[in-house]
Amino acid sequence: MPIFASTHRRQALVMIRTNLSSLPRRFAISASMALSVALVVCVLAGFLSMAKGFERALNGAGSHSIAVVLGGGTNQETGSDIPASVIRTLDAMTGDMGVVRDAGGKLVSSREIVVPVDVRQRTLALRGMDAIGPSIRDGITLSAGRVFAPGAREIVVGDRLAGEFGLGMGDTVRLGAVDWTVAGHFSARGSAFESELWADLDAVRAAFDRQGQVQSLKLRLTDPASLNRLQEFLSTITETPLVAVSEADLYAAQSGRTGSLIRLFGWPIALLMAVGATAGALNTMMSSVADRTVEIATVRALGFSRLSAFLGTWIEAVVLASAGVVLGLFASWLAFNGWQASTIGANNTRMAFQLAVTRDILLTTGLLGLAIGILGGALPALAATRLPLTTALRARG
Amino acid sequence: MIQDIAPYIALIGIRKAYRIGGEMMPIFSGLDLTIPRGDFVAVMGPSGSGKSTLLNMLAGIDRPDAGTLSIGTSRLDQMGEAARSAWRAHNMGIVFQFYNLLPMLNAAENVELPLLLKPLSRKERRLRVERVLDLVGLSGWEKQYPAMMSGGQQQRIGIARAIVSDPGLLLCDEPTGDLDRKSADEVLDMLRFLNRELEKTIVMVTHDPQAALYARRTLHLDKGDFVEEKRAA
Ligand SMILES: Nc1ncnc2c1ncn2[C@@H]1O[C@H](COP(=O)(O)OP(=O)(O)OP(=O)(O)O)[C@@H](O)[C@H]1O
Ligand SMILES: [Mg+2]
Repeated sequence: MPIFASTHRRQALVMIRTNLSSLPRRFAISASMALSVALVVCVLAGFLSMAKGFERALNGAGSHSIAVVLGGGTNQETGSDIPASVIRTLDAMTGDMGVVRDAGGKLVSSREIVVPVDVRQRTLALRGMDAIGPSIRDGITLSAGRVFAPGAREIVVGDRLAGEFGLGMGDTVRLGAVDWTVAGHFSARGSAFESELWADLDAVRAAFDRQGQVQSLKLRLTDPASLNRLQEFLSTITETPLVAVSEADLYAAQSGRTGSLIRLFGWPIALLMAVGATAGALNTMMSSVADRTVEIATVRALGFSRLSAFLGTWIEAVVLASAGVVLGLFASWLAFNGWQASTIGANNTRMAFQLAVTRDILLTTGLLGLAIGILGGALPALAATRLPLTTALRARG
Repeated sequence: MIQDIAPYIALIGIRKAYRIGGEMMPIFSGLDLTIPRGDFVAVMGPSGSGKSTLLNMLAGIDRPDAGTLSIGTSRLDQMGEAARSAWRAHNMGIVFQFYNLLPMLNAAENVELPLLLKPLSRKERRLRVERVLDLVGLSGWEKQYPAMMSGGQQQRIGIARAIVSDPGLLLCDEPTGDLDRKSADEVLDMLRFLNRELEKTIVMVTHDPQAALYARRTLHLDKGDFVEEKRAA
């Protein structure tokens, strides 16, 4: 690498050092450049972490290998109703429906209903399910205790809710007209599931007078592609219109396209701001070159290379941008990471999600910030190499 | 002391014009000049006569439009920008009227600058810097910053920087133009010492007839040509 042979490196290092140590002479404009980069980083990080947090909550909740059967002509759980006779018909069906059966050939399914309940003045979703329900979900782990016992007035609580509402193990909480005991906590990797309370189907039906009601039926698909096959079987049942949607689609539909919408807003705003910041960087670095005209021309007259003049200016720009990036990332991490946001989910219940400032987001926004310095500094750095050296002998240093 | 007979610096038929407001203003139209090794030449002349332009061409900072310009075995007129940069780094020192020290570097670091262009260890560089600072009478001033020094001291640092890599040629554009008489004489004494004792070839542009007395000969430039030559007694 002849370019970075030691004398070139030393030249560049001196240029960089003199540039950086002359920074205080241009403090205001340099600081404003770093701040504008920081602002761009913050704004983009804010949008992206919001989108990310939202998607994490919803995407984590949905699996493509789980089918949710809804009845009554709706494609969401709210308002869905599956009559008991339909369930009996389904159970009696034989042949390859594309869903998992147990060793005895019985469908592995969970009948579920969701009841809105008030806990500490807030509405939460209490989900009644068959005992097998928790296992027809992906990414669920019990973080404490055990699942609800069949028929018992016991609930398992998502970690997020447990923390937020202080629902400790063994605590009792009044839902509807009766008291329930917290039997366990579950984690769903922060997904929307964690915003739910789970209990035994019959216990929920009994407590809320919903005898015989089933809103949805969960089934595990043998393969994500076999959803169509299941739908074909459902179409043969004429009693009530039935649809099978993948759990992933169900949650995605619930969230609308919120995540991508946030990004759709976030990126253009951030990019527009980045263009502005790049113009600012260009201006700052032009003034840096103007400020150092004599110094640059002097060392060039001593024999320093054009490359060193270029690098000195360019790296100053990158250093300033990096300072902005570090500041921006630190600020956004402090401000956004773990910041609780919530939105109204199905059944008017709360769905909590956490803004997630992920490594990817730090990387993306950091790179955008750096790009501002790299692009904004390149032209002025080129200008630094083109300074007429005769000015060194002419000008008062 | 016997000087080399073969010219060290040779300018033949140098042409140089600047575009000023759309019109080409000729500065030199066929300038010839030879300077032997070990000479100390003062260049005088009215403002705008092309003294700095001449010096800049010798330094490889500026290029003649036509003509040959050779120093030693190098043809500066045929070299590209990068080659001239490298050539400057190894063959000459420049002393500026306004010293042109970098304000954020201390005296030793300023003097060290040209050495960074050479494959020298840190220790070698420090030794050389110490030696030249001693030579210009400023040992002990290593850590001082230019802003803390008088004009005369700054110019001595400037000279130290110009000679630290031991070039054969020193180019000085009005090195005493910004100094009082006493400081100017100190600087000029130093240049004479460098010429007499260390055999540096020196070309010095000056407005000051007193300064010119330190040189071995004085050239008067007017309207782009040398009109008079005076040898020191
Ligand atoms: N880069 C340039 N562009 C245009 N014109 C120039 C440039 N450099 C010098 N000139 C012109 O060339 C002429 C000679 O300039 P030069 O600086 O060589 O004169 P000088 O003898 O050094 O004068 P002074 O005694 O004032 O320093 C002047 O008319 C000047 O305006
Ligand atoms: Mg001049």
